Amino acid sequence: MKNNKRYLPEGKYVMMGNVAMAEGALAAGLSFFGGYPITPSTEVIEHLSKRLLEVGGSCMQMEDELGSINAVIGASLVGAKAMTATSGPGLSLMVETISMAANLEIPFVLCDVQRIGPGSHGPVTAPHHNDLGLIRFAGHGEFQVIALAPMNCQELFDLTIEAFNFAETYRCPVFILSDAYLGHLHEPIYIPPKEEIITRVINRELPQDYTKKFSYKDDNIGGYIIPKPPIIGTDYFPLMTLHLPHNYEGLPGVSALLFMEILIEKIKTNIDKISITDEYKLDDVDIVIIAYGLPVRACYHAVDIARKEGIKVGIFRLVTVWPFPDEKVKKVVKNVRAIIVPELNYTGFIAEQVERVTKLETPIIKIPKVGVLHHPDDILKVIREVSK
Amino acid sequence: MTRYEVRISGFGGQGVITLSKMIITASSLYENLAATQTEAYSASARGGRCWAEVVVDLDKEIKIINYPKALKPYDFLIILSEESANLIKPEDIKKDENTGYLIWDPSTIKKFRAVRRIEKALSIPVQILAVENFGNIVFGNSILFGAFTILSGFISEESAIETIKNFVPSSTLDKNLEAFELGKKEAQEFLKQLKEGKD
Repeated sequence: MKNNKRYLPEGKYVMMGNVAMAEGALAAGLSFFGGYPITPSTEVIEHLSKRLLEVGGSCMQMEDELGSINAVIGASLVGAKAMTATSGPGLSLMVETISMAANLEIPFVLCDVQRIGPGSHGPVTAPHHNDLGLIRFAGHGEFQVIALAPMNCQELFDLTIEAFNFAETYRCPVFILSDAYLGHLHEPIYIPPKEEIITRVINRELPQDYTKKFSYKDDNIGGYIIPKPPIIGTDYFPLMTLHLPHNYEGLPGVSALLFMEILIEKIKTNIDKISITDEYKLDDVDIVIIAYGLPVRACYHAVDIARKEGIKVGIFRLVTVWPFPDEKVKKVVKNVRAIIVPELNYTGFIAEQVERVTKLETPIIKIPKVGVLHHPDDILKVIREVSK
Repeated sequence: MTRYEVRISGFGGQGVITLSKMIITASSLYENLAATQTEAYSASARGGRCWAEVVVDLDKEIKIINYPKALKPYDFLIILSEESANLIKPEDIKKDENTGYLIWDPSTIKKFRAVRRIEKALSIPVQILAVENFGNIVFGNSILFGAFTILSGFISEESAIETIKNFVPSSTLDKNLEAFELGKKEAQEFLKQLKEGKD
């Protein structure tokens, strides 16, 4: 009875971004949310505090962000699909536990509704894609994460399901990069029928092999194997070493170097499956725009106008922002005259990656914005200048 | 791409955000048009300067609005406070046929400088009408929604009524529908005058 409420009836709804994200999490099988309210992510915990009870899950408001992320990790260890939502200042408090979770390969999803920073002051409801610098190496030690950047409310729903699937499959921290603007946007979204959602969701399963519960390198096939996560309190999880590099049983026995290799390469070698990208009018381009998140929407608008003026410009969109798809970008920027990278931050975290990949052979023009969205004219102006 | 840009501004508590949500609900759920809505947040929504924007694409083939904020010049402006009226310039609003409407409330705005230079400006004393006819200013929303439905022309009356049913408590539905009719009449009268003026 209770699980019938997990899925909203098929149909069209007008939803706030934060709520669409929360509904996506429920559809993905979320059963535990631990969080501490912080603008602009508060609607997530507000909505889930009602909805999780309806589906027999739990939503805990913890005493702070440290408590929140630890509760999430604990819930995931006992077999729940778990997540938290926060914003920049909360995220920075969570990184120690995120590192621990990465070490133990505990799946969880973190929705970061980014706001202006640094620090906890200022216009907290302004969007700022400033956390990517932290998220891509979210903690101490070395590990890889997955970060997805939706750009509308429908994607907040759909990509959250994808985020949970990535967490279950690759057993690494998975981030949803929302922002203050997107989180509060209202848009119509389509919720597919329950039967269709179920086919999209990867459920929590126990490892097939009793002894193999952590990722390992299989020299026979020359690849990395990621078993399903073990669940504490079952026979699969009597042993673990938190303080040492561990082998697939959770016991010491691998070198630190090999352990790092496994944590990182298990993601990097699967980049083709993890990296979701989208192309818009890229067939014959002179100029390519590389963007992610909300700024992409201003780019579509600008590109449509520029195309009418005869400028050959297109968009390469990163849906998966991290890991960065080096090979795809190399292919896209081949033979282009210039690359435009509009980002909702000053530094240009993705522009830096593009610079690394292109070895500075092609001019890269950043369009930084902080706290306000790119107006289509901001992008159009640069396109026109570059095309001269 | 036939974007229809709507901006509503006033102060928090006047129903600015509710009205914008009614517009996006009617256009997306009932008229099946692509739409987005954005709104002021936190303190400004609770008494300070408050605004909301809706972008609707009138082309039924369009599935998603690209740029989510309303772009100037607007197709439709609803101005409910003097502070927001002061920020309006005549060039903020379109001058094409069947668009570029402004609705403003003279019961809350004493002086609206730009209004003389805006061709399709309709003044409705929303707050006074709501209190006199229905006993509460909250009914002002349905008056405005009625006027918007007629002037914008892309929301059918059935869709508008379904939307009102969605938004108001059932005990006040009849009064809200009356308020909706009142707004409609104001707008129809206004359109008639515009037409006569041209002839």
